[in-house]
Amino acid sequence: MSAQSQLQEILRKGRIEAVRDSIGRLTRRPEMGSFLGLVIVYVIFAIFGGRVFLGSAGWSSWLNMAAEVGIIALPVGLLMIAGLLDISVGAILPASSLTVAIISGHYEFPAYFGIAGGLAVGVIVGFINGLLVTRTKIPSLIITIGTMFGVMGLTLGFTILIAGSTGVFIVPDTVTKSLLGVALGGMFQIGIFWWVGFVIVIYYLLHLNPWGNWVFALGGDRDSARDAGIPTRKLIMQLYMLSGFAAAFVGVTQVVTFGSAQVAAGSSFIFNSIMCAVIGGVTLTGGAGSVIGIVFGTITFAIVNQGIFFSGFDPNFGSIIIGALLLTAVLSNDKFRALALSYAARKK
Amino acid sequence: MELIGNFLRRPAAASILSLIGVVAFYVIFGRVNLVNLAAAASWINFAANLGIVAIPVGLLMIAGEMDISIGAMIPAGSITTAIISGHYGLPIEVGMLGALALGVLVGLVNGLLTVRTTVPSLIITLGTLVGMQGIVLSAAMLLTGNASVPLRAPEWAKFLFGQLLNNTHQVIILWWIALTAVFAFVLHKTRYGNWIFALGGDKVSARNAGIPTTRLTIVLFVLSATAASFVGMCQAILFNSAQVSGGMGYIFNVISSVVVGGVLLTGGFGSVMGIFVGTLTFAIVIQGIYFTHIDRNWSNLIIGVTLLVAMAMNGSFRSMALSYAPKKK
Repeated sequence: MSAQSQLQEILRKGRIEAVRDSIGRLTRRPEMGSFLGLVIVYVIFAIFGGRVFLGSAGWSSWLNMAAEVGIIALPVGLLMIAGLLDISVGAILPASSLTVAIISGHYEFPAYFGIAGGLAVGVIVGFINGLLVTRTKIPSLIITIGTMFGVMGLTLGFTILIAGSTGVFIVPDTVTKSLLGVALGGMFQIGIFWWVGFVIVIYYLLHLNPWGNWVFALGGDRDSARDAGIPTRKLIMQLYMLSGFAAAFVGVTQVVTFGSAQVAAGSSFIFNSIMCAVIGGVTLTGGAGSVIGIVFGTITFAIVNQGIFFSGFDPNFGSIIIGALLLTAVLSNDKFRALALSYAARKK
Repeated sequence: MELIGNFLRRPAAASILSLIGVVAFYVIFGRVNLVNLAAAASWINFAANLGIVAIPVGLLMIAGEMDISIGAMIPAGSITTAIISGHYGLPIEVGMLGALALGVLVGLVNGLLTVRTTVPSLIITLGTLVGMQGIVLSAAMLLTGNASVPLRAPEWAKFLFGQLLNNTHQVIILWWIALTAVFAFVLHKTRYGNWIFALGGDKVSARNAGIPTTRLTIVLFVLSATAASFVGMCQAILFNSAQVSGGMGYIFNVISSVVVGGVLLTGGFGSVMGIFVGTLTFAIVIQGIYFTHIDRNWSNLIIGVTLLVAMAMNGSFRSMALSYAPKKK
């Protein structure tokens, strides 16, 4: 064998090795499982949902839903990566909606005033959550259940006290409406673009910024993270304020879109946001997950929820599919994670 | 002084103080008539339905696990009974067995998944919660074509599970008291109780000490799912029909009752008596507000505050209990 062909042989082997390596790396990425789930679910509903599901009616219905849940699922996912939970988002959403409706609808102050108030409610509740989580040893699940009940009670009490009913109306001005509550082509809510914005910002924060490493470190081992000089208390406060802000933001877009705010809205977001994150490969044990994964998880969740109406199945089948997806996601995450953790580059 | 100290170090202390605090608050600010409140059935009925689920969930939390699938198991139990014995007209025993068997089955799934994977039980039971909701709804729609299924139970079943004592108090209250006594005995007087505390304190050490941790965890999940389907079964027999909805509210209510009752979610600390009193407290906050002059819209706020205050008390009483050493003579 000549030296020439020997060299080529080595190069060829190297290329195969490289390809095999990159496939291996892909399967070890946290979002791989959620991407597969997304593809499978989309294909299934494309088969049963037909042309309507594949057309703009189908796309708009699941995109609209994905945007609403997705904006909340992102920071909730970050919290879960850090090993924490936030149940109170389900109460913050209607609290913010009603704040906007009461300030700008009932009292007829300018819209930006009401919106600022609504967002402030979210940030304040997040601040309180963060304070309680960092200053006590009580698990975040219990703390945020407590603040959820508290905020729900305050919202209901004050709404009845001020407006005298459980629903408050608002007629947003055209600028506000076009920024936060317009549907493009009568179908695609503007919230979808806000969701994209949230994804970009949070992607930058988590994956391209030292701040993101801190979040992962916090979820991996809180004590070591603090010993390594990470300001864990400040970080937890920021995470809770972020999730409060996001929930309040969705509340604001809802009240502007529908022109009214209801006390009872929002509780479905509690488990939905957690499910999106879990389907997206985030583990509650902390330290694992990615923004792209959460986005995939959210889209999968929304496709199942909305696609079921196009498929002709009994809509309740949707819950069974989501339950099954959730368990599969959880089990495969367990596998993928074990693979990634046990992986060691082969010795040459 | 010693007496107070001993009382405060008990896990039930915070729940008893919360109960006194809530009643005092209602008496002072709501001008509630205590005689009327004590005679009323609404809050005791509410507490009994909640309490039967709260005790096994509390045991799970003492063992460091969590079960939120109970929110689907309550309607599942009631729908199963009604479909088997109401829609298909089979004897009520079969319906009841079916409901309880479903509870055992879901509990087994929860337990097996929890012990076989590293996934937190909160997430696993979230999956079975959503899945069971779908299964219950689709089964009801497919088999009966209706989201509400009628049921006619024979006299003896009504007498045991769906009777109204004195025309106001549900017979399930007696079941609640009996189950509390049984669980209190098991948790505090038998070795199984010690195992549960050990499991919640440190799972690895518990296993190394020879405790069958896997089997124990699975049994606890079976107990909580079965208790939930039992409550659903009793509701179907009492109301002569089963509804598919109405279990979701139980999830946070049960967790809150358990936490007010002095159980730590981190595991290893709590008591059955505490859970019992915590459930009573929670029921009085929600149902008692109708007997006061306070607008009932504030009841959620009162729950939130009670919960946070009870947790703060639990925390400080627990550290008192842990750091306590009898004074040297």
